[in-house]
Amino acid sequence: MTARATDSRTAVPAVAADDRRRWFRGQAFWLVAPALLLLVICLGLPLAIVTLRSFSEPQWGWQNYAWFFGTPVNLTVLQRTFTISAWVTLVCLIAGYPYAYLMTAVGPKMRLILILCVLVPFWVSGVVRTLAWVILLQDSGVINSVIRAAGLGSVKLIRTQTGVVIGMAQVLLPFMILPLYSVMKTIDLRLMQAARSLGASPARAFAQVYLPLSLPGVYAGAIIVFILALGFYITPALLGGPRSTMLSTLIQNQVLSLLNWGRGGAMGVVLLIATFVLLALAAPLTRQPHKTGSGR
Amino acid sequence: MKKIGQVTALGLLMITTAALAQSKPVAGEVAEGSLKDKTLTFVSYGGIYQDGQIAALKEFVDKSGVTLLSDGPTEISKLQAQVESGNVTWDVVDTGDFPPYVYCGKLFQKLDLSKIDTSNIPEGQISECSVPAMNYGVVLMYNTEKYKDNPPKSWKDFFDIEKFPGSRALEGSGDLSGGMIEQALLAAGGSVENMTVADIDKAIEKVKSLGPDTIFWKTGADSQQLAESGEADMIAMWTGRAMTAVKNGAAYTPVWQDWLVVMDQMTIPMGVKDPDAAHALINAYVGKSAQETLAKTTSYTPIHKDAKPEVDEVTAAFMTNTPDKLKLGYQQNIKFWVENFEVANEKWNALMAGN
Repeated sequence: MTARATDSRTAVPAVAADDRRRWFRGQAFWLVAPALLLLVICLGLPLAIVTLRSFSEPQWGWQNYAWFFGTPVNLTVLQRTFTISAWVTLVCLIAGYPYAYLMTAVGPKMRLILILCVLVPFWVSGVVRTLAWVILLQDSGVINSVIRAAGLGSVKLIRTQTGVVIGMAQVLLPFMILPLYSVMKTIDLRLMQAARSLGASPARAFAQVYLPLSLPGVYAGAIIVFILALGFYITPALLGGPRSTMLSTLIQNQVLSLLNWGRGGAMGVVLLIATFVLLALAAPLTRQPHKTGSGR
Repeated sequence: MKKIGQVTALGLLMITTAALAQSKPVAGEVAEGSLKDKTLTFVSYGGIYQDGQIAALKEFVDKSGVTLLSDGPTEISKLQAQVESGNVTWDVVDTGDFPPYVYCGKLFQKLDLSKIDTSNIPEGQISECSVPAMNYGVVLMYNTEKYKDNPPKSWKDFFDIEKFPGSRALEGSGDLSGGMIEQALLAAGGSVENMTVADIDKAIEKVKSLGPDTIFWKTGADSQQLAESGEADMIAMWTGRAMTAVKNGAAYTPVWQDWLVVMDQMTIPMGVKDPDAAHALINAYVGKSAQETLAKTTSYTPIHKDAKPEVDEVTAAFMTNTPDKLKLGYQQNIKFWVENFEVANEKWNALMAGN
């Protein structure tokens, strides 16, 4: 079963990739034109305007950036935004990796159920899910009731960074699981058997064979989750206290309450650049040469 | 010749009288069919509130023949974009306390009060660019089970963590609550007369002294949740949410001493296509029966002195327009907060961001 599935996959990609490349040089470019146009109009243009306004309002110059870096609270919050996002990514990875693996290991029916379990919460509004977390995490909430009933005192979960990380991780988990699964399902499990037959312990076979092969999925998932987490607004606002405010809340405040587009823009640009820098640093990792079972 | 002159004068007089009689507005009234084929867009904060406002305007719509569109939620930044681009599609906008003061003449036009009958609106609530849309308040709600024999009686007690141990919750929705800062300042032993910017710091220190477990609720629903689950022992709450929490069985009681007067504002943006029609809408909105409908559907307090909405007991208990409650109300120093809007916001937001 596994073997056959892998066989059909091994043959296809190399040929298809060549074909695609040749085709792309020709007319195929026009296929992406609508998407590209949409991107330029709906993302590129507004982004350019925001950047421009961060330099032009109220006067031309670096004032908004000087303000950003001269105000301690901004730096604290910027750093916190990255810290929380990193934690969320880690939690998603720890929770998502075994789950995605399980999805590759079970039969089609079970797999469907597992996929549904990931996707169903995804169809519920983020606000509703966050409010559900409030009910679970609050001091008089479900989790604390259970802990208290067990005679273990109580834990402070809501209005802490822990609460925010838990809530955000749940919202973002599908973005980790799906890329992981799409990579893991291409891994030829016979390689593990081969490793075992050559004397590797299960742990070693996993660490030296399976894990490296699954890394592209890990990187893809981690980057998606991390970037989405950076822009989170509702969840930290409802599950967190002042000490878990993230940058989007500050941006929202500058723009919506104070109509200070310049400062709001500058904050957005700083976040964007910081993200790019981080991605640039992470890029070499993702380009690590790897030998998968794809037959190339 | 002389006679003709007299007749003309008389005729002129009659015309002006008629015109005057027509232009002298009465709150809640609009001339039959006067806005036929016209369209007005009313913008507010959505939910039950905006539904109630639209219901309150039904009579106006039926009588004037206007087509009323409903949009929202109100965002000053969106309005700014409209005004700057010269394409204003929002005709009447419901805003929070401060915007019509801060952006009067910039985003909001000065109201022509000869077109709106303001004679029944509570005193001190009309500004150059706004009339109130409704009233509500921020009250101190305390847990009756926690403070059985010794309940808090004022904001001073709210800020006194030694005499009244327990957790506190106050508004952290991002909007500046000048009234709350003033109460914190008073509790810190300061004076609100001739307030200075340094006093804001003093007040914020007082808020910080409530301890790290202080809750800053983000939305009205959030605060209601806190009361219904008993998460905080004392909560500064909007009256509407306090009422709903009590109706849902929260064991909390309001302290009316110095409840903070809050209002929404009715405004007309700069550059609307038909200012007269917009004024007519506001004039209809502040009418007695419109305000009664509004109060009945939303439980917010009407801004017409004689409005007597039919509401149940709990709702009536949280209406703020009764004489005894009006006496206890605390009106923030709007002038100070408008003048120091930016710096006050910056300081308050730093507190909200955990600094």
